[in-house]
Amino acid sequence: MPEVRLEGLGKRYGNLTAVNNVHLTVHDGEYVTVLGPSGCGKTTLIRMIAGIIEPTEGKVYIDGRDMAGVPIEDRDIGYVFQNIALFPHLTVKDNVSYGPRARALPPEEQLRVSRRFLELVRLLDRMGMFPDELCGGEQQKAALARALASGSRLLLLDEPLSALDSRVRVDLRYELRRLAKELGLTTIHVTHDQEEAQSVSDRIVLMRAGAIVETGTPEELYARPKHIFTANFIGETNLLEGWVVEIRDGISVIELRNGGKVEVHQTDHSVGDAVVISVRPEFMYPADEGMRAVVRGITYMGTYWRVKAETEDDEEVDFDMATLDGNLLTIGKDVYLAVNPKAAVLYPRPEDGVEEAIRLE
Amino acid sequence: MVAAISRKRFLTGWTAFIILFFLFFVILPTIYILSYAFTEWGSIEALLEDQGRMDLIWGAIGASFQIAGIVTVIDIVTGLPMAWMLVRKDFRGKNLLDTLIDMPLAVPTAALGFSSAMFFAITDESLQAPSFALGTIGSPYLLIILLHVVFSYPYMVRSLSAILVQIDQTYETAGRTLGASPLTAARTITLPLFRAGLVTGIILCFARSLSETGGTMIALATMANARGFATGPTLIGEWKDALDSQPDLAAPLAFVSILLILLSLALLVVIKLVVMRVHLPMGRIWPRPERLLSRGVFPKVKDGLAVLFLVVFVLVPSFFIFTYVGSVEPTAFDWAPFIRSLLYSFLIAGVVTGIDIALGVPLALYIAKNRSGRLAGALDVLVNVPLIVPTAALGYSLGVFWASQEIVPTHDVLLIVLAHVAFTYPLVVRNVAGAVEEVDPAYEETARTLGARPVQAFRRVLYPMVKSSILAGAIMAFTRSLGETGATQAVVANAQTAPVYIVDLINLETAAGYYSAGLACIMLIVISFLFMLALRYVTNRRAR
Repeated sequence: MPEVRLEGLGKRYGNLTAVNNVHLTVHDGEYVTVLGPSGCGKTTLIRMIAGIIEPTEGKVYIDGRDMAGVPIEDRDIGYVFQNIALFPHLTVKDNVSYGPRARALPPEEQLRVSRRFLELVRLLDRMGMFPDELCGGEQQKAALARALASGSRLLLLDEPLSALDSRVRVDLRYELRRLAKELGLTTIHVTHDQEEAQSVSDRIVLMRAGAIVETGTPEELYARPKHIFTANFIGETNLLEGWVVEIRDGISVIELRNGGKVEVHQTDHSVGDAVVISVRPEFMYPADEGMRAVVRGITYMGTYWRVKAETEDDEEVDFDMATLDGNLLTIGKDVYLAVNPKAAVLYPRPEDGVEEAIRLE
Repeated sequence: MVAAISRKRFLTGWTAFIILFFLFFVILPTIYILSYAFTEWGSIEALLEDQGRMDLIWGAIGASFQIAGIVTVIDIVTGLPMAWMLVRKDFRGKNLLDTLIDMPLAVPTAALGFSSAMFFAITDESLQAPSFALGTIGSPYLLIILLHVVFSYPYMVRSLSAILVQIDQTYETAGRTLGASPLTAARTITLPLFRAGLVTGIILCFARSLSETGGTMIALATMANARGFATGPTLIGEWKDALDSQPDLAAPLAFVSILLILLSLALLVVIKLVVMRVHLPMGRIWPRPERLLSRGVFPKVKDGLAVLFLVVFVLVPSFFIFTYVGSVEPTAFDWAPFIRSLLYSFLIAGVVTGIDIALGVPLALYIAKNRSGRLAGALDVLVNVPLIVPTAALGYSLGVFWASQEIVPTHDVLLIVLAHVAFTYPLVVRNVAGAVEEVDPAYEETARTLGARPVQAFRRVLYPMVKSSILAGAIMAFTRSLGETGATQAVVANAQTAPVYIVDLINLETAAGYYSAGLACIMLIVISFLFMLALRYVTNRRAR
């Protein structure tokens, strides 16, 4: 059963480090996404697992076997490419049966396998068509069927949805997870889209500048990110700088730079420490007292209003209002903002400043 | 309003002029000789009865087509691994290899013919070929095959790698993730995608071999005992030379030219159909043997053989002449007539290139911008005709065409220029038309929305983007004109261009004659090398 283990995996091109010292274990049957901004090394990572790129350091183990020197075709993987890469001179059926054909299975078996997987992705009626006769979503489904038909239990997805229209993208996401779980596959899915990562994965591996920042379930990474970069990259958040001025009854009181005070249910810092509070816009709301700000913009988002406000020391703060309450605010109006103490997270203030800590590269 | 109308009229007139020039100065003279079959059918009928001449004709034409076919196959088989290596692999010395492949392109075919024949063939005693020459080929047929491989191999490798670069390597990688070995993936995925491009390479190679005259004549002259062997083009050269003293050769000359023109055009169609239609038995996959062949020592042996072939069958024969001139006793060399012939060649090539650019770029623009129109489509097909027709046949046809009218005076130099324009003009048109089609029309449209007039939009926006293709076309036209023998001889039998001068020297069959020919060849190589460097320098500087 395929379990993928990476030990100190790294790739250097001269002075440039694409991937640095990655340790990761993807368990059998697990759906893991590797998430990160472009240029973070995630594609290099998955290509090293597939054997398309040779690592300069470290090891890849698939199913306990060291993959050093094992060529792509012997790794027993299914790989879906960002640019889809269906063979343009073969029909959909012949594309899907290419894996069985490359292993010289008898023709009737080739046909049986390709029918089975085309049925699974609901493309049986497109069997005789050429790739350029399909629309984008169908093409990627055919590519998926092709990867699955090779019989591998390990599925590697390299930005499989980023070339597609947004609506198709959302539909296909669920399809991917459904198939992976139905077939009991181990899946590694690379993406730069945090929404996509959150909606499909058992576990997210967040990367930045060639290294892993943090690993956790989608909920962990959204609700209690361990790193300030994660808080900013996954979902949206407000980062407010301040100092711990008081600790009592499991609550830290933080004084912000503009003098306002915020309470947070977290006590792992001492009085006097410089900290950053991360609060998601949905956990910040207008109150009778708190942080003073002026409303600068209101945008209708469908299920809520997004309000942009400016604090007294010119920091921008976003918060959400229920759709029905949107008309209570107008641009230029003063508001006092309160923070849900259970939903705010404290970080020690980074030495190089907040900007540096959340930079994408 | 008035200005606008007159501008529009001017434009229509100009376009008409360009198209008429193309039709009457390029296409019509190229195939004019075909009319001979209708106007002088009697003399051709008489020729058909003449068994001796007919044997000569069929022998020469058969040799030409067989040689072209064999050369093309050799080029594909040996050029494919080389192209693959250059495009898909990274290794030390890749840049060097890349440059080495282009080197023979800088050697004019006349010099190539002398140099290769000296290396491969059994040569006359008085030539004093260096002792380390291969010197074993006694069959003129085989020698010409080897010679044509020498000069067409670089073209084949270049056109194969040009296609290979455009095929996304992801397809092969995808095949390998599905369990195919590298050899299987290359065979079942990349090669089928290759097919359309392969047609171009095959036609180019075939046409070049079919057309080659100067190098072939020189190689045959250098070889001992090659009398009696002729290819289609050398037969035309020979007979045209004797036409003044034997006027009854007019009919056989016309007949050979007609055959060459018709057969080469028919072949063009056949190659296109065959290569696109025939399904090679690519379906089966043999996982174990193919896997074995993809691993370990086999790929290295394949690459090693490809490099070995390049060195022994292309590079050494190309530059063998240097060892010859270094090793024999020097004799006095009279530079004056050679320099004169060289200047003559350069003058012609210069004028021809000028005409090609002035009248070829507008046609290319017209074709590229009206691609969907019927006229432009027809012109696009016609442009290929002079490229496919062997130049000796083209030259003879053109000579007869201009001699048959009395409007344009037929001076020797003028005739040679017109003949060279006919087969170099398509090079410029095709290069530029191809480049213009690549450019997104949105650039020019944007310039127009910003207030630029069409001429301005062309000059400021399109021209800088296609400049390098114009230069590339010009370089190709210039070098082709400089190296051409077949067409020159077929219009004017005793034209003193550089290649013709070298043939004359070799035909003396004296030590001094051979030595002088060697020096002349080296001089030609050096000059065309310097010329290429200079052009490359100019293009690079302009590109920046």
